[in-house]
Amino acid sequence: MLEDMASRAPVLTATSISKSFGPARIVHDFSLSVRAGEAVALTGRNGAGKSTILRMLVGAVRPDEGRVEFEGTRMSETNATIRKGMASVIDDLDFFPDLSVVEHLDLLARAHGVPDPESIVDEVLEEVQLVPQSGQLPGTLSSGQRRRLALGTAFVRPRRLLVLDEPEQRLDVEGVAWLAARLAEERKRGLAIVFASHEPYLVGQVATRIVQVGPPTPDADAAAEPGAGVEA
Amino acid sequence: MARARRKGAKQQHQPEPQVVAPQPVVVPTDPYAEYADREWDFAWLPEEEPEVVDERALHALVKSWRHGRATRSILDVLQDAYIAIFSVAMIGAMVINVIVGSQTQSASCDTAACLNGRLLVPWGTFFAIAALAVSTARLFGPVLASAAEGFWLMEAPIGRKRILRGRLWAVVLGALVVAGLVSAGIAGIAGEPLWVVGAWAAASGLVASGLVAWSAWEQSFERVKALRVAQAVLAALAAVVLGTMVAVAAGWLHIEPPAWVRVVPWALAGLGLLMTVFFTVGAHRRLDRFARTRLTSGGSLVSGLQGAMFGLDLGLARDILVDREAIERGHVKPVPGRGLGAQALVWRDVQRLKRFPRPLIGLAGAVLAPYASDAIGLALLTPFLSAVALMFALVPTLGALRVLSRSSGLARALPFTTAQLRTATFAVPAVLALVWSLATIPAFLGVTGGLQRSPLAAVTVALACGVAGLAAAIRWQTAKPVNFAVPMMATGAGAVPPTLVFNLLRGFDVAALVSAPVLLNADPIWSLAIGVVVLVILRTGFNLEEMSEQAKEQQKLLDAEKAARAR
Repeated sequence: MLEDMASRAPVLTATSISKSFGPARIVHDFSLSVRAGEAVALTGRNGAGKSTILRMLVGAVRPDEGRVEFEGTRMSETNATIRKGMASVIDDLDFFPDLSVVEHLDLLARAHGVPDPESIVDEVLEEVQLVPQSGQLPGTLSSGQRRRLALGTAFVRPRRLLVLDEPEQRLDVEGVAWLAARLAEERKRGLAIVFASHEPYLVGQVATRIVQVGPPTPDADAAAEPGAGVEA
Repeated sequence: MARARRKGAKQQHQPEPQVVAPQPVVVPTDPYAEYADREWDFAWLPEEEPEVVDERALHALVKSWRHGRATRSILDVLQDAYIAIFSVAMIGAMVINVIVGSQTQSASCDTAACLNGRLLVPWGTFFAIAALAVSTARLFGPVLASAAEGFWLMEAPIGRKRILRGRLWAVVLGALVVAGLVSAGIAGIAGEPLWVVGAWAAASGLVASGLVAWSAWEQSFERVKALRVAQAVLAALAAVVLGTMVAVAAGWLHIEPPAWVRVVPWALAGLGLLMTVFFTVGAHRRLDRFARTRLTSGGSLVSGLQGAMFGLDLGLARDILVDREAIERGHVKPVPGRGLGAQALVWRDVQRLKRFPRPLIGLAGAVLAPYASDAIGLALLTPFLSAVALMFALVPTLGALRVLSRSSGLARALPFTTAQLRTATFAVPAVLALVWSLATIPAFLGVTGGLQRSPLAAVTVALACGVAGLAAAIRWQTAKPVNFAVPMMATGAGAVPPTLVFNLLRGFDVAALVSAPVLLNADPIWSLAIGVVVLVILRTGFNLEEMSEQAKEQQKLLDAEKAARAR
């Protein structure tokens, strides 16, 4: 399977990207290549630069140096072709204050031309456990429910790459277990996934490769056991 | 030295990213299992009665803390305030100049119909101010407390009356002053004699303060129904007066005001005074019973708006109000969307209008603007004023555009370019602007006493004003907030980002630019052409920062190419 994956063309490529904010160098010379069916987990301490890397990967932040490509096209946040293929849930997701939960999902599915939007919306709504809240406006949702809605927006539309920044945030224990199962299934179906996480369970269930960003955490060596629990 | 070390540490190269083998998986079981056998202790509250606190002493203590943390004396502040004083003096002089100029121009309003129509301006202003007073008071409280006060003081065993009474009086007197000044300004611009200006200023000021006091009284009972009804009735009366004014000025309706009408503003002022005294005293007596949630809810709204206004960001201020309204509503009956692709966005806007049709009332009011402006003798300014009125009417219909412009997350989730997204989100407002243009053609033909134009010129001006209003509304909703990361401009008031002041003018700048040729008596086709060009630029999301970054990138590539060739 590893050989098969290696033969596939990369969906996302980052080549020697760097980013500084003023005098602070956040990311230096970072490279990454992700293929279809591969899930890369970025781990590391708070402030190591994981979120900045993800922001550069989705085009929300332009790298000072280096290059990011999606299926061979230079990354641009406003490129419609890239927007069609890449779903992302990072910290800049906003909601329409006057559209309900289900209407958000419906709009996303229709905008992407999903032929039978209602059935996929119902399915995702059920899965993210927001059926009772389907008519609620986003401002009234709890932080966990907002997170579920954000994840729902990524699952309700077609995608070839999924970029997630700490998707386990604000999810309860069952939520993390559901998310891990869902992402593992998506990966098996051929989706390329890049995500940053502090949740060992999620990383273990989903990742085919773990990239440690910044200095390793003190217990990283103790925790690492090659190949355990992950189907590569 | 320490600073140099920190700087060095920041610039230190990060280690190369390491590829680590996947970690072992621990499937979560019951997360609380390990605490199953734990014995829980309970802590009981002490039985002693809490000590009674003197509110005045507490207030003095808070004041002392605040003064202790002050970094500048009042003299320092006053020395720095000269710029503000000069600015107020200059703006005041400009406002007075506009009023005097308008009064001179209003002298051209010498037909019986125009003069009768103009008599209704203070009436319309009065009802509009009263409706606005109720709506603002209801939105903020009107009596409010900050979140910190809610947490630290309202929980303490103290009477709230001493903390809140100053605020009650402040809002009531504030309403009196602000409403009086606005009413006087508008009556002055309409060219009314001094005694009329004074009488209506007193009426508007006292009734507004009475309504605010009534809102405070209702706040103490946590009731809003009666206030909502009053607000709707007052707004409807303002619209009726505006419509009547247009009809009278156009000569479609004739009114002969009886002599006793002169007494009405004084009677209203008397009524307002009674309301102010009665409800302020009533609310004052009930200050101890004001609910903390209602007090702090207004306080948090004010602090949010304050934050937005520090950047002079009216868009953000509006976002806060829209979010609050949505939270108050909480729930809607979901409606399935229609269409696929960009059509889905357009249909959602149609469904939004069906669900929340209030912007259509605003649009109907904006249709009256050119008729009313001509009716009160401001024909020369009518195109600009009409475009601004349309801008305000269209801003609420561009909610989707606002959300997709203020942050990139949701826009990135939709499979369209910026131009496609913007076109889809202003399609419905564009249709509304077209309807507005068609409805205002008679005004630009001069039916209410304005400039007489040929049918072709009137259609062109109406369309130009429609495009101006639409473009101004799009500019208002899509303008970027002030960038505090750019080099600052040194001013007497400290360092200021160059775009700070222009932020207040957004929308108005486009309306002025597009309507300028008509105002300068040039061929209106120029206005239409400028409007279309502005619309095209706004559609593509003209972003200077992005363009500058792209230019830098191109330069970088060029330099790399040159270096490669040199080798």
